[in-house]
Amino acid sequence: MDPHVELENVSKFYEARDKTHALHEVSFAIDVGEFVSIVGPSGCGKSTLLKIMAGLDDPTSGEVRFQGSPVRGPHDKISMVFQSFGLFPWRTVLENVEYGLEMHKTPKSERRALSREYLDMVGLAGYEHMYPKQLSGGMKQRVGIARALAVEPEVVLMDEAFSAIDEVTADVLREEVADLHKQTGKTFVLVTHNLSEAIELADKVVVLSSRPAKVKKIFPISLERPRDRTHTLFVHIHRDILHLLKEELENTLTRHKLKGIVPLQKLHDLEASSKESPAKEPEAAAPVSTHISAKAEH
Amino acid sequence: MLTNYLWLIPLATGFAAWEMVTRFRLIPQANLPTFSAVLGAFFISVQDPLFLLRIAHSFLSLICGLLLAFCTALPIAFVAGSKNKFDLTFTPLIMLFGALPDLSFLPLLVLWFGPGSVAAIIMASAAGFFPIYFTVRDGTRNIPRELFEVTSIFKSDRLSTFTKMILPAISPHMFSGLRLAYDFGWEIIIAIEIATRAAGIGSFIEGSVSGGSLDSGFAAILAIAIVAVVVDRVFFGSLESWAKRWA
Repeated sequence: MDPHVELENVSKFYEARDKTHALHEVSFAIDVGEFVSIVGPSGCGKSTLLKIMAGLDDPTSGEVRFQGSPVRGPHDKISMVFQSFGLFPWRTVLENVEYGLEMHKTPKSERRALSREYLDMVGLAGYEHMYPKQLSGGMKQRVGIARALAVEPEVVLMDEAFSAIDEVTADVLREEVADLHKQTGKTFVLVTHNLSEAIELADKVVVLSSRPAKVKKIFPISLERPRDRTHTLFVHIHRDILHLLKEELENTLTRHKLKGIVPLQKLHDLEASSKESPAKEPEAAAPVSTHISAKAEH
Repeated sequence: MLTNYLWLIPLATGFAAWEMVTRFRLIPQANLPTFSAVLGAFFISVQDPLFLLRIAHSFLSLICGLLLAFCTALPIAFVAGSKNKFDLTFTPLIMLFGALPDLSFLPLLVLWFGPGSVAAIIMASAAGFFPIYFTVRDGTRNIPRELFEVTSIFKSDRLSTFTKMILPAISPHMFSGLRLAYDFGWEIIIAIEIATRAAGIGSFIEGSVSGGSLDSGFAAILAIAIVAVVVDRVFFGSLESWAKRWA
């Protein structure tokens, strides 16, 4: 089966701001109906990557393909859920959900019906005529999710969709998103800095390195759903990814220090210690990764 | 509910005190007529169609000035709020003009357009330009980036982005600016009518006071106050609260 969304050597430079190199030849593929989480150190460019997949931003080189054809701008079948919800405060809940359909020129009666259906699906029936300011963070994001689904997309992109919500509410909402994924069979891509969240929801977790972001490793997650965060394998995968990210963070810190503040002697010490640690890693990581791939195969 | 009318107490006290100090001649009536005389003159004046026409004339000049200010300030402010380079190029210049005392240009305007309503309208629009410009510019700048991404992801065209996103987002700011411009506008219009003796209620005040009938002069001030406050509260007040119904 052809991949649903495919990234091939996606790179991004920002010309204006001191020529930042945000993404470096990022490649991976997403299958139809797959749930993919993208994690990486903060500020590594994972949101930029999602925006490129959404067609909101162009890659400097490489391309994103949706169903085989390159994405050159927003696409009817690719929808998005935003970190700060992205609701229009002057529109009611129902009008916010209708917005996407309105832009897609869906006839009025049809868009009303569709919007009500999706509001019902996210558990907001009865809240149609409220304004966003009257809702809690979790409810606002439900509106955001309903709006994204109402245009009947094939791919739903979620940019840190749970990070502006309190933890307990976020937990419930995650379970519901997992259900929505199962029910609708759509392809989901979630960018997050929350590892447990990434593992809980995804069929595979793409780990990016620090700037410029490259694909560090892809972890297939074959744990049964609904997922138990205390499951041994869950804990192992979590530890593995965390380990990778910490290593990335240390690399970044070393790079910053190299830029000048550290006296030469300390620099030598630093280099010596950073040479030691990678030597230890493969041993620690190896048993777990074989464990995962073994699980992934059957 | 009753507490909404508490302001009537100091107002009535003030009028009573005014009546007292003038009736007992603590202030000579040649300088300040009694409040009752002013009220009397007011009720006579408002039955005079010419008096009402003068008020209407000043009010219309003000509205024309406001419309002119709105139509020029809105597009420029909108561009300044969304394009940083434009803002850096033009806003300092506009601030510079805003800092100048508007009325200093009056003799030039009178020279160019004569001592009539045209000068008053242009002056009022110049004064109203700044509050509209700065509120709309700031309103546009404060639209969260994310909302622009929402319009893009759902493929909104430029026109819909303006009418369905930017306009509602800036409308509370826009109406506040318009209201400020209206308040400034009254001062400018009256000042110009007094200075140039152009038709309108300003020159009526000037004529009454210099002709010795202070009660008519005060009656005219009272009439302006009523029109100004009622329009401000009823029209602009409800416009503003309508635009902020969701905020």
